[in-house]
Amino acid sequence: MLRTLLFSALLALAGPALAQGFPSTPPEPGPPLPFEIPEGTTFALDNGVDVTLVPYGSLPKADVYAVVRVGNVDEAPDETGRADLLTSLLTEGTTSRSAEQIAREAAEMGGSVSAGAGLDQTFVTGRVLSEFTPDLVRLVGDVLRNPAFPEDAFERVQRDALRGAAVARSQPGTLAQAAFYETLYGDHPYAQVILPDTEDIEAATVDGVRQFYEANVGPQRTRLYVVGQFDEDAVEAAVREAFGDWSGGPGMSQPTPPEAQSGRRVVLVDQPGAAQSNVYVGLPTIDPSAEDYVALQVTNALLGGSFGSRITRNIREDKGYTYSPGSSVSARYRDAFWAEQAAVVTPQTGPAISEILYEIDSLATTAPSADELEGIQNYLAGTFVLQNSSAGGIASYLAFLDLHGLDRDYLEDYVERVYAVTPEDVRRVTEEYLGADDTAIVVVGDRSVVEEQLAPFGGVQITTVQ
Amino acid sequence: MRFAPLAAFAALLFAAGCSSGTEFLQTPQAPASTEPEFDPLTEAELAETEANEFSVPVVYDTLANGLKVVISEDPSAPTAVVAVYYNIGFRIEPRDRTGFAHLFEHMMFQGSEHLGKNEFIGLVQRNGGVLNGSTRFDFTNYFEIVPANTLETMLWAEADRMRGLQVTQENLTNQQGVVSNEVRVNVINQPYGGFPWLDLPQEANENWYNAHNFYGELSDLEAATLDDVQDFFDTYYAPNNAVVVVVGDVDPDQTMGWIEQYFGGIERADVPPIPDLREPPQTEEKRASKVDSLATRPALAFAYHMPPRNSEAYYAMGLIQQILLEGDDSRLHQSLVTENGVTSDVSGGINWPLGNMYNYNGPMLWSAWLVHDPETAPDSILALIDAEVEQLREEAVAPDVLERAKVKLRSDLYDTIGGTYGFGRADLLASFALFDDDPARINTLVDRFERVTPGLIRRTAREWLRPENRTVITLEAAGGGL
Repeated sequence: MLRTLLFSALLALAGPALAQGFPSTPPEPGPPLPFEIPEGTTFALDNGVDVTLVPYGSLPKADVYAVVRVGNVDEAPDETGRADLLTSLLTEGTTSRSAEQIAREAAEMGGSVSAGAGLDQTFVTGRVLSEFTPDLVRLVGDVLRNPAFPEDAFERVQRDALRGAAVARSQPGTLAQAAFYETLYGDHPYAQVILPDTEDIEAATVDGVRQFYEANVGPQRTRLYVVGQFDEDAVEAAVREAFGDWSGGPGMSQPTPPEAQSGRRVVLVDQPGAAQSNVYVGLPTIDPSAEDYVALQVTNALLGGSFGSRITRNIREDKGYTYSPGSSVSARYRDAFWAEQAAVVTPQTGPAISEILYEIDSLATTAPSADELEGIQNYLAGTFVLQNSSAGGIASYLAFLDLHGLDRDYLEDYVERVYAVTPEDVRRVTEEYLGADDTAIVVVGDRSVVEEQLAPFGGVQITTVQ
Repeated sequence: MRFAPLAAFAALLFAAGCSSGTEFLQTPQAPASTEPEFDPLTEAELAETEANEFSVPVVYDTLANGLKVVISEDPSAPTAVVAVYYNIGFRIEPRDRTGFAHLFEHMMFQGSEHLGKNEFIGLVQRNGGVLNGSTRFDFTNYFEIVPANTLETMLWAEADRMRGLQVTQENLTNQQGVVSNEVRVNVINQPYGGFPWLDLPQEANENWYNAHNFYGELSDLEAATLDDVQDFFDTYYAPNNAVVVVVGDVDPDQTMGWIEQYFGGIERADVPPIPDLREPPQTEEKRASKVDSLATRPALAFAYHMPPRNSEAYYAMGLIQQILLEGDDSRLHQSLVTENGVTSDVSGGINWPLGNMYNYNGPMLWSAWLVHDPETAPDSILALIDAEVEQLREEAVAPDVLERAKVKLRSDLYDTIGGTYGFGRADLLASFALFDDDPARINTLVDRFERVTPGLIRRTAREWLRPENRTVITLEAAGGGL
C-alpha cells in the first residue's frame, strides 16, 4: 500500500511585479502533482530467496538485480580484496557457459551482465530490452549459482586487480579516501576496503575464492529485484525456474559493526609537489536505523550536501578554494559516517579546513532560520522523487531498505519525516553527531607546504597508505 | 567536465564544460569519400517509423526571435527537465582566450537581472530540483530537473539569465579561481588527467579550432576581463542561437505559452557564422607520447577520424563501435581483456567521453584507451587491435554479429534517451534542433541503423579505419605512487 507523496508547494518570493513586461520575481509554482512509488509484487521462494517485481517506466527495458549479503566486510584481515576477486570471477564462466558465451548471450538481449562487490552487499546485475527479461533472469541465476572458477581466468583477474590497485594508489582522491577509512575504522574490515593489500591479492588462490563463495553465497542471503517494463508472469516463472531449486548455503550474515572512534585526529599523507590537497573531514555517526537519521540527512544537505549548502557556498563560491566540495552520510550495516571532502588549492589547505570546522560549529550553536530549513526540506523532497524516478533508483532504494532492515513505511513516510525536522533539531543533530572536536582530518598533499597549516588542528600524524 | 554517471544527486552540481557550434559547411572528410550520399528516409518509411513500438513525442516550434522550442511529454513521473542549449562550444572560442567558453559557463550562475549570485541555484533547490551545466564541442548547456509543477518558475529563471548577465569583477575573479581548481583536480593533479580526451584532439587534428586545449591555459583564464565576458554573452547567448527543451509530465500548449511569455521578448542578435571547422585529410598515421609524472602504469590511446555526421558511413561507424568496443562481447574486449589479458578494461567511443555520437556537429574522433602493465610493449597491443580492425576491413561481418550490434545499439539508444531522469532525451532533442533543425530525427535513428549492411560495414572500415587515418598516443608512467 502506498501513500501519495506531494511536493511541497513553495514560493521563493511573492507575487510578480512587472518590469518591461518581464516579472521581476519568479512565478508561483502550480499545485504539486501526486507521486506514487510503484509498489510492485513481493514474494519469497521456499529456499529463502526474496523477490520484488516492480513494473515501471516509459522505455522498453528492464533491470535485474541479484543482491547477496556478502561484501568486503566478510573478508578476513589477510584476505582483503577477496570479495572483489570473487565478483570478477563470477562472469568468467559458469559450469555450462564460457565468459564469452555469457557476454554474447547478454549482448544478444541488448545488455550485459556484471558483478561487483560492495562493503556489505554483492550485486549481479543486467539491463536488457524488455522482451528478454526472463532470459536475463535465467542468465543472472546461472552466473550467481554456478560459477566455474576457471584457473586461467583467475590468474588474469589477479593481474587485473594488481594493476587496478597500482592505478588506485596513484590517485590522490582515492588515497585520501583510503586514509580516511583507515583512520576511522582501525582494525575493522572497513578500514581496508578502498585499497586492499597488494600482498593479499598476490597470495590469493582460486581455491580460496571458491571457499569464500561457499561460505558466503546462498539463497538465504539473496534478494532479487526486477524493475522496468516486463511480462510479470513470464518473469515470475523464470525466477522460479532459475532460483527455485537452489538449496542450502549459509544463513543470513550478521557482520560485527565497527566500534565508534572519536576525538580529533590529524593525518597527512605526503604527496610531494601536489598542486592540490585532497581533504577529508569527518567522523562516525548514526546509521539509518536510528531515529534521528532523517534529521541528520536534512542537516547534511544544509551543511555540505547540496550545491547551495553552507560549506559549498563558503569554500567554493565565496573563497574560490575548490571546485568540487561536498559532504555526505555514508551508511553501512549498523554503521555510518559523515564526511566533507574537497580538493583545495595547496596554500589554502589550512584555511579551507578552518572554514569547514567553522560551519560545523556555527550550525551546532545556532539553529538555522525556518526559511533556510524549508528550502532544504523542499530540495530533499524533490530529489527523493527524482531518485525514485528510474529503474536503478527504485532498485537501489529497495535494496537499501532491505539491507538496513527498514520496512516500506520508511519510504512512504520519508517526505513527511523530512518536513517534520525543526530548526532546533538541525542544531541539536549537528552538536550531537557532527561535533567538530571529534572530527578526523585527513589530507593528501605536499607535506612541505601543508604540515605547518595543519598543526593548529592537532598533532599531525604523517603516514603512508598501506 | 565530469564523466562519471550522474548517479548521486547530492553530487549533481555543475560540471563545467566547454563548447558548441553549428556549422553550415559539410564536414569533409579526411580520406576522399567514395560513399554515396546518405539518402533520406521516404515518407512511407517515416510513417512506418512512427508506428514503431517506442517513439518519443515531439512538439517543435520557433519563436519570432529565432528561439527554437522543443517539448516532449513523459508522464512516467511528476518531474520536468528544462534544458537551454546555446550553439557555442569550446571548439569555436576566441583564439587568444582558450578555455573561455567553459569559464563563461561558470559565469551564467553568477548573476542576472533578478537573480544575484547563488540565487539561481537557491531557486532551483528550494523548488526541489537539481541543476547542472556543461560545455561541449558544439554547445554549452544548462539544465534543471525539477518537480513538474515548478516548470514555469524555471522557465522564468532561464529567461532571466538569457535576458542579461549582471556579473561583477569579484564574481569573475572568484570563478577564475574555481575553474583553475577544476583544471587542477581533473588534469594537473590527476594521474591520466586529460588522457586521452584532452590530448587526442590536439594530436589528431590540424585545424586550431579542433586542436587547441579546450580546458584552456591557466594564463588565458587569468587574463579574461569583465568586458570579454559581456562581449561573449552579447555575441552568442542570443535567442536565435539557442534552443529551449522541456521534457516531462507537462502540458505542451501551456508550456509553449510560458516560453513565449518569458522568452518571446528577448531580442535576437547578429550571431557570427561558425568558423570553418574542416580538417585536412590525414595521410599518415600519427604517433605521440607523453610522460605522466603521477601515473603508475603505462597507457595507450588511439583515435580514427570519423566519417561526416549523418552520412551512411556515420551510421555504419555507430555499429562498428558496437562490434569492436561496446560491451564484454566486443572484439577488442574479447581480445585485449579475455583472451590476452593485456588490460582489465578498454573503453571509448564516438565523441567520447564528452558525449555520444548524436550530440556534436563537426569533425569528430572515434577513440579508445586502456591501461597496461610495463612489461607489455605498446606495439604488441597495437598488433592485437590491428588484427581486429583488419578483420573488419577484409571480411564481411557475419549477419548474426551485425544483428547483435543493432540490438545493442537500439538498447543503448533507449538508455541514452532515458538517461538522467529524462535529461538524455532533452539532450538529443536539443542537439537535433540546433544542428539539424529537426528534433523529430530522434524517432528515425533506429531505422537508419537497421539499413546498414555487412557490405557497408566493410566499405566503411576500409575507408575510415585505415592506418593512415589513425593517431596513437602512448603514456609513460613516471609516478612512483605513494
